[in-house]
Amino acid sequence: MIPHRRIRWVQKLAMQYLLRYRIPKTFNVLHHTEVELLPGHSILLLCNHFSWWDGFWAGHLTNIYFHRDFYIMMQEDHLKKRMYINYMGAFSINRQSKQVIQSLQYAANLLSNPNNLVTVFPQGQLVSNHSDEINIERGIDYMVKKIEGNCQVIYYSAFVEYFESLRPSVYFHLLDCGTNHNFDYEKVKAKINAHHKQALKKPG
Amino acid sequence: MGWIFDVYARNLVERHFYKINYNPVEIEKDRSILLIANHFSIWDGLILYWLAHRLLAKKFHVMILEETLKKEPMLKYGGAFPINKGSKNMIHSIDHAAQLLADPQNLVLIFPQGKLYSNFVSDVHFEKGVMKIMDKALGKFQLIYAATFIENFQHKKPAVNIYLSGNTNCTFENIEALNAGYQQHYNAARLLQTKIVL
Repeated sequence: MIPHRRIRWVQKLAMQYLLRYRIPKTFNVLHHTEVELLPGHSILLLCNHFSWWDGFWAGHLTNIYFHRDFYIMMQEDHLKKRMYINYMGAFSINRQSKQVIQSLQYAANLLSNPNNLVTVFPQGQLVSNHSDEINIERGIDYMVKKIEGNCQVIYYSAFVEYFESLRPSVYFHLLDCGTNHNFDYEKVKAKINAHHKQALKKPG
Repeated sequence: MGWIFDVYARNLVERHFYKINYNPVEIEKDRSILLIANHFSIWDGLILYWLAHRLLAKKFHVMILEETLKKEPMLKYGGAFPINKGSKNMIHSIDHAAQLLADPQNLVLIFPQGKLYSNFVSDVHFEKGVMKIMDKALGKFQLIYAATFIENFQHKKPAVNIYLSGNTNCTFENIEALNAGYQQHYNAARLLQTKIVL
């Protein structure tokens, strides 16, 4: 696995570029719902994965809403193609190798610090935005069980819509999935799928 | 002015999207085309304008709301003609559409949903007007269903998938039958779209 080589000022600079220039240029509106954020907890952010932008949106939301130090888990071959993200807090996972456990443990260690936020795409691959089922890989369960300290698990479904604008708008539907102490894999999976189906009825 | 709009609109579509995928359909030379599509943004009209030039090779016309045409008057150079829902002029617009369909050189695009809906809707609901056009121009046109979906995937720019299906049967008893026919096509297209995994 490739560990992150986060440099605080590089990440900050990249975030400012995203926030002030790249996202306003590309998108019309980014709208998110709100959940109760627990103080003193790190955040494990789960997202649906359907586009190139997902990681950047997660970074954007962290910057404007979650206010934690941003880390993201990426597929190893994807990260190798764009190593600059490595300096912004990306580390890798290779699902085909035995180092999966190592990556999950690495993420759990990061989450043991309450100042951190780790973004994970639980589907493990790019799936259509129109899909009405979210597959949560077993690794999430393993990762959450390994966290020492307090961590809040948050999921969001993002949807891209156009309507009257030529530029797309993105709508984030946030869901609080509890903390690592009361984490039940099957229950959370069912909850996330119900939430996603509900959100899909009225995405915008 | 027409050619300026043509160059501008097609360039706009090609620049904004990474790729536009569509499946080929058989075009009948001696009949006009009535294209029925889902409506979720202003892009779908432009995308189908691009497609009409690329694949269908007929003169493009589209029925749009009068207030939209007032806001974007340049659309008339792209073949847009107005409809005012609920007014007496509605019948003129319907007649105009039926007249256009009488000429085999023409293509008329109609969004029977009547307004913008989400791209994620599972049920498409049609309004009645389209049935009147079809009754008036019966036998002179070929019916084509289009279901459009926009998604990003691994590129910065979004990609478009257009699912087309030519329809030999153009006679429907009522609007429900037409709606059900389109719904069937839409469901099949949506199923293909949701199955995409990279």
